[in-house]
Amino acid sequence: MKKLTMLFLCLVLLGVHIANAQQKTITGKVTSVEDGTTVPGVSVAVKGTTLGTITNINGEYSLNVPADATTLVFSFVGMTSKEVEIGTLSVIDVSMVPGVFNVDEVVVTALGISREKKSLGYAVQEVGGDDVNQAKGGNFVNQLSGRVAGVQIKNNNNMGGSSNVIIRGSSSLTGNNQALFVVDGIPVDNSNTNNTGQLSGRNGYDYGNAAADINPADIESISVLKGAAATALYGSRAANGVILVTTKKGAGTSLKQPKVKLSSNFTVSNIDKSTFPKYQQKYGAGYGKYYYGGADYPGFEQYADVDGDGNVDYTVPYYEDASRGQEFDPTVNVFQWDALYPESPNYMKATPWVAGANGPETFFETGTSNTQNIDLSGGDANTNYRLAYTYFGLKGVLPNSNLTKNNVIFSGSHKIYDNLKVSSSANFVNTKGKGRPSTGYSDNIMSSFRQWYQVNTDLGAQKDMYDKTKRNITWNPAAYDNTAPAYWDNPYWVRGENYETDARNRFIGYAQLDWDITSDLKAMGRYSIDNYTELQEERKAVGSGSGEFGVGRPDVTSGYSRFDRTFTETNLDFMLNYRKKIGESLDLSALVGTNMRRTKTESVFVSTNNGLAVGGLYALSNTVDPMDLPEELLTELGVNGVFGSVSLGLSNTYFLDATIRRDQSSSLPEDNNAYIYPSITGSVIFSNMIDVDWLSLGKVRANYAEVGNSAPALSVKDTYAANSPLSGTSMATVPNTKLNSDLKPERQKALEGGLEMNFLQSRVGFDLAFYKDNTVDQLMPVSVSYATGYLSKWVNAGEIQNSGVELALFGTIVKTDDFKWDISVNWAKNTSEVISLYKDEEGNEVKNLQLASLQGGVTINATVGQPYGTIKGSDYQYYTIDAGTPQEVVTDKKLVNPVNGRYLRSSTNDKVIGDINPDWTGGITNTLGYKSFTLSFLIDIQQGGDIFSLDHWYGTSTGLYEESVGPNDLGNEMRDPIVWNDPDNMTKDGGYASNSGGIIEDGVVNNPTNNPAYGENGSVNWVRRSQENYVAQGYATDPNSRFVFDASYVKLRELSLTYELPKTLASKMHFAGASLALVGSNLWIISKNLPHADPEASQSSGNIQGWQSGVMPTTRNFGVTLNLQF
Amino acid sequence: MKRIFLIITVLTFVFAGCTDKFEEFNTDKKNPAEVPGEVLFSNAQKELADYVNNTNVNINIFKLMAQYWTETTYIDEANYDLITRNISTNIYLRAYLRILKDLDEASSLIESSEVIAIEEVAKQNRLQIIELLNVYVYSHLVDVFGAIPYTEALNIEDVYPSYDMGDDIYADLFVRLDAALDNLDASEGSFGAADFYYSGDVASWIAFGNSLKVRMGITIADANSTLAQTAIEAAAANVFASNGDDCLMPYTSSAPNYNQLYADLIASGRHDFVPANTIVDVMVPLADPRIPYYFTDMVDTSTEAGVVKMAWVGGAYGYPNSFSQCSHIGSAIEAADFPGIMMTYSEVCFYLAEAAERGYSVGGTAEAWYNKGIEASFDFWGVSGAAAYLANPDVAYTTAAGTWRQKIGIQSWLANYTRGNEAYTNWRRLDFPILNLPEQAVTYDDIPVRFTFPVNEQTLNDVNYEAASTLVGGDLITTKVFWDVN
Repeated sequence: MKKLTMLFLCLVLLGVHIANAQQKTITGKVTSVEDGTTVPGVSVAVKGTTLGTITNINGEYSLNVPADATTLVFSFVGMTSKEVEIGTLSVIDVSMVPGVFNVDEVVVTALGISREKKSLGYAVQEVGGDDVNQAKGGNFVNQLSGRVAGVQIKNNNNMGGSSNVIIRGSSSLTGNNQALFVVDGIPVDNSNTNNTGQLSGRNGYDYGNAAADINPADIESISVLKGAAATALYGSRAANGVILVTTKKGAGTSLKQPKVKLSSNFTVSNIDKSTFPKYQQKYGAGYGKYYYGGADYPGFEQYADVDGDGNVDYTVPYYEDASRGQEFDPTVNVFQWDALYPESPNYMKATPWVAGANGPETFFETGTSNTQNIDLSGGDANTNYRLAYTYFGLKGVLPNSNLTKNNVIFSGSHKIYDNLKVSSSANFVNTKGKGRPSTGYSDNIMSSFRQWYQVNTDLGAQKDMYDKTKRNITWNPAAYDNTAPAYWDNPYWVRGENYETDARNRFIGYAQLDWDITSDLKAMGRYSIDNYTELQEERKAVGSGSGEFGVGRPDVTSGYSRFDRTFTETNLDFMLNYRKKIGESLDLSALVGTNMRRTKTESVFVSTNNGLAVGGLYALSNTVDPMDLPEELLTELGVNGVFGSVSLGLSNTYFLDATIRRDQSSSLPEDNNAYIYPSITGSVIFSNMIDVDWLSLGKVRANYAEVGNSAPALSVKDTYAANSPLSGTSMATVPNTKLNSDLKPERQKALEGGLEMNFLQSRVGFDLAFYKDNTVDQLMPVSVSYATGYLSKWVNAGEIQNSGVELALFGTIVKTDDFKWDISVNWAKNTSEVISLYKDEEGNEVKNLQLASLQGGVTINATVGQPYGTIKGSDYQYYTIDAGTPQEVVTDKKLVNPVNGRYLRSSTNDKVIGDINPDWTGGITNTLGYKSFTLSFLIDIQQGGDIFSLDHWYGTSTGLYEESVGPNDLGNEMRDPIVWNDPDNMTKDGGYASNSGGIIEDGVVNNPTNNPAYGENGSVNWVRRSQENYVAQGYATDPNSRFVFDASYVKLRELSLTYELPKTLASKMHFAGASLALVGSNLWIISKNLPHADPEASQSSGNIQGWQSGVMPTTRNFGVTLNLQF
Repeated sequence: MKRIFLIITVLTFVFAGCTDKFEEFNTDKKNPAEVPGEVLFSNAQKELADYVNNTNVNINIFKLMAQYWTETTYIDEANYDLITRNISTNIYLRAYLRILKDLDEASSLIESSEVIAIEEVAKQNRLQIIELLNVYVYSHLVDVFGAIPYTEALNIEDVYPSYDMGDDIYADLFVRLDAALDNLDASEGSFGAADFYYSGDVASWIAFGNSLKVRMGITIADANSTLAQTAIEAAAANVFASNGDDCLMPYTSSAPNYNQLYADLIASGRHDFVPANTIVDVMVPLADPRIPYYFTDMVDTSTEAGVVKMAWVGGAYGYPNSFSQCSHIGSAIEAADFPGIMMTYSEVCFYLAEAAERGYSVGGTAEAWYNKGIEASFDFWGVSGAAAYLANPDVAYTTAAGTWRQKIGIQSWLANYTRGNEAYTNWRRLDFPILNLPEQAVTYDDIPVRFTFPVNEQTLNDVNYEAASTLVGGDLITTKVFWDVN
């Protein structure tokens, strides 16, 4: 039983220990009835209290119990819990019977309070620490994908990149929609510090989200609190749900017997080629074949005598970053880029015109990672400690990229007196990155490979040139006699020279005092801090092509920038907890508390101006021109909260909870900065009322909660913004956003209901949740007509509704002595709707809020009546039947221009062409255990959701992809010219010659004037569209909607095979335990509808999703993990 | 229980003292809450110069509209695609947010500033100078769109500004312009160094205001000749008298205060623009001495080995062009500190030539002003040989081909080189020079005669957008601006 390590949903009873003057210590051992082996991690609790411990690695426990304690409860996930009368016993050994999921499961809820799951009136889902620690990726958040119903994780494939975590949909129109991370009661900052250019799709780096600092090896368990009722006590910041992490703690019977665990993992990574372009191999450089190469080779140029032999030579249009030029022909020699550099073996040589021997797929290397963890822990009845160190080192799949993390954590607690306990934790995390992949539209190697490239380029030769010269010898020079880059640098130069580096040093810690005032009343005080400094340095080496860089993002050819940021959050908490059993059947608990939060963020972004004076020296003092003004930011936020809750439980069957919290926030106008919000939850365990064998648990629950939320700091008082002085004259401007001194708190109102049922001794069961969340009076900068002199204005307005269903299913399909197959399924569907945005005093209503305007002319929007996150852009024009009023639009009949065979596109870009929200998400985890082997795999599914691919928008135009060549319907090469039967009769009747190129788009002829040449208006299109140059497809002529793809996927997210050394064997080898696991992640995208890329890939976390440009391919990881326990 | 009360009392006490810093927390410590109006004025001046002079395909495509330049590989803007890059939206962004808003804020800050009595005249002068720039910007916006938010613009309390028709705006702008000119007092200073264009010299601003009045008058001359004549005749005697009066923005050689042309042409490292064949093919037959100043790099057009035929080659307007096989933009223009050109004596001379042709009394004949315009242009670029050029029968006013519209149209277009905005307006009014048709435009009528309203006005200000579309006669590139009557 205990071999099912995947199911170790160990629980830790945090916090308060009741102690009386009179108490005794009970010790014992827990074994499995199946095979008699000891079971670690079993919760041992004094019934009716929160007093408890867990068994250590040898299945042993030691617990101080009050003299009046009557019963011990032993519970463990996967086993039926057991109650034992204490009586006069001081040693209690139990053997436990395997079950599936425990009815009496205890979960960690808001503020770290452990509660029996069955008593809760809201949805909570737990994930075991091992589940997020199997695959080593550096960011445990990604391992949550598919494991929790209603939690949508988007892993964007950037090395060390940010992961988008949305629980139950986006509730804030313009604010942060990411879940809150809380580790052992301490909120852990999850900022994304990517710059605004990067976030809106320009070039930059994805520096990741700060929650990635949480070390998966330290995680004991994760509780996901989804709804407002579950998170109400956390206050405003938890409106997006909470990922509650409980770390591992020391335990034991004697301080002199520390437990030592070693864990070691090696992983190799390769790109998944289904997520990278497949290139055509027939045509080379050029936007068409119109380069003055003469009649024979119109795709070449013929004006320069490159080799000086007196003859004008054929040259490639080097400066063009497209592949719609001259068709390849190995018998033709032409002066290619490598003929222009003396260092090149082909210098002054014309070489055969063929596709590059090494395409962009060869640019990627095999990545590796290595994780080493040592964990020392121990404890006795009064004291426990844990000290652990984890090293994580990753070498990315791009040249010259790596990421390292060092994580040290110490936690411990000690009872000074029987009723006074101190505990503290200190966690130091150091993260260093180098050469993160560039993201976005411009200046990004991936955007070149996916959008702007010459397939005749041999990247092997590019590599050789860079290795040999360390110069920027590019495939894309401006001209044969001007080898400065036209647009693109040698990609090896970029990786080798223009890399970023970053470092973050972080300290997270707390000190806590628990005082058991009486056996019923306990007090807790805690001070916690989360502090980090980070430095992001970006480089552009002298000799690079020009690109946006540094402060103000001017185009420069070299530069150095640094971004320094310090973040500090402190929390001071006090809590009083009262717990009493009244009479036989009434459980009462009550809680009052306060929280004082102070957050301070400071940052400075500064860069050289107009380039580096001296190559290779990356210092601000090496600037060519005096530096431009730095970008400085200082925000401070204070929130004071008081809260209380009352919980009533009657006969272990009826449960009622009520909470109330008042927050006062410094970011609101001073006279209106306090807000109060309540929650009420109830549940009934109806299975206690009916006595049927097959029903192990039946519970209905319902709740209503409100959560108030305050504005971001500095949204109230207007200021001016200074610009760089010109010749000593100062300048300042009115900022783009009008602030508002009348802001009030926004409010989320959430209604939730659920049904939980377990059957057949909890061998199978489900948990079903329904919810509806409305966020009203949203605090947002609403976009306004630019004629107001502003882009936006802070208002309280707008409402978003998210409603949905979540289903978690579990079951044991097969169970024999040797073999067991467990399955768990998560499924969630969220429907989001923007109910309203903003109305002015006259009642004029804003119907659209633009969240982002992105390259390609598409926007991401919140539109009234639509889901949050519509993609807008140009659409096809459709055939309309004139007779009716309004006109009937036939949306399956796309209009085609009968002159050139291209689609007609809408004259405006405000058409809704996509919705970024998935229809539903789900995950299926299978765990198969056979003797000492456990096989587990997770299939992660997203159905629906749209994505606009800028990569296809440009890449189809530039003719990179394999589908841009090949036979047309006549069997001719589609890029061949259009040929009419009779050049003087270019009409439908005249028709095309049998050797004609071009393609026929799927649509109908647009012929409203009934020109006899084109055929009947609205009849099936017959007009051929030339594929000869870049207007053939894509950005120049097609509507945006053509490049909106379905983002559905089915992925084999994780696969692991674990062999656990049998206890007997292990002990012979002097191990307390040992296991070996083979782990794979992102091994196989079973199904997707987006060609050449991963539908999950994006530039960053945040509200701007549904748009791809120059994204990284998916990385497939294979690893081996060895765990040893002493 | 006493202990509980004690705890609660202590906590309450601790708490009460903890909000006193909230006010401070929410105060921005890195950005000023107050600034003098002058710094906003300086900023607006620079933003205005940046806007007028840049050639960024997202913002200012007037150099393409006037067919001074064309594009090499990415030819969408030369083919009048205003939508993909949201060009109209960006014009609003620049004009309203970055220029007019700062001017407006500068004006109210200066208005409310307390000054000693002796400074009162200078204060008034500052306010009137701001007003001149307001008129400059609004008249430009009308010329581009035909109707714009005007009376209800720049009021954040009214986020749905209605549109005013161009002719009404022009009428009001003339009134504002006159009021400003009346109140400018050249006996005192104004902004001093905060004024990049004229260092606060009020006499220069008076000449600027009068020149602007002539420009606006000539612009509406076909639509409202009476108003045009009154305005021009009142102003003609007080306009720029020489190139020394030109309104120029002195840029520096380093970012971010270099000429935005440098940013787009050189710093970007890109090769997006080459001179258009439209202008090259007009200048070459005239043997215009300004050619090597306007352009650089002759190209070998020979197709025979061993034969070199160097020539000035403009890129085919609106078609793909090879950068290396075209002549390039003149090196003076590509200098980081090339001055931003706001209004020139040469430009005004041509307006006055036109006014003379229309029978207005402007203190000189059409020919005299025409000649002065050309001479001033030569002088501006430091080119000699104006006299010989004027003697060329194809240039000389009396012998050059065509109507006065054609003569003035072509020569003012050549003289206004790089100033696409003015040239585009003049082309619409005079219908000269004859422009080329780009690849995507099928007929001459496809060349836009106005810009469509910003796409986001359709969503952010939809009711007024609809009304404005009706007002101008359809939000189309083919709808003529009110003054473009023939």
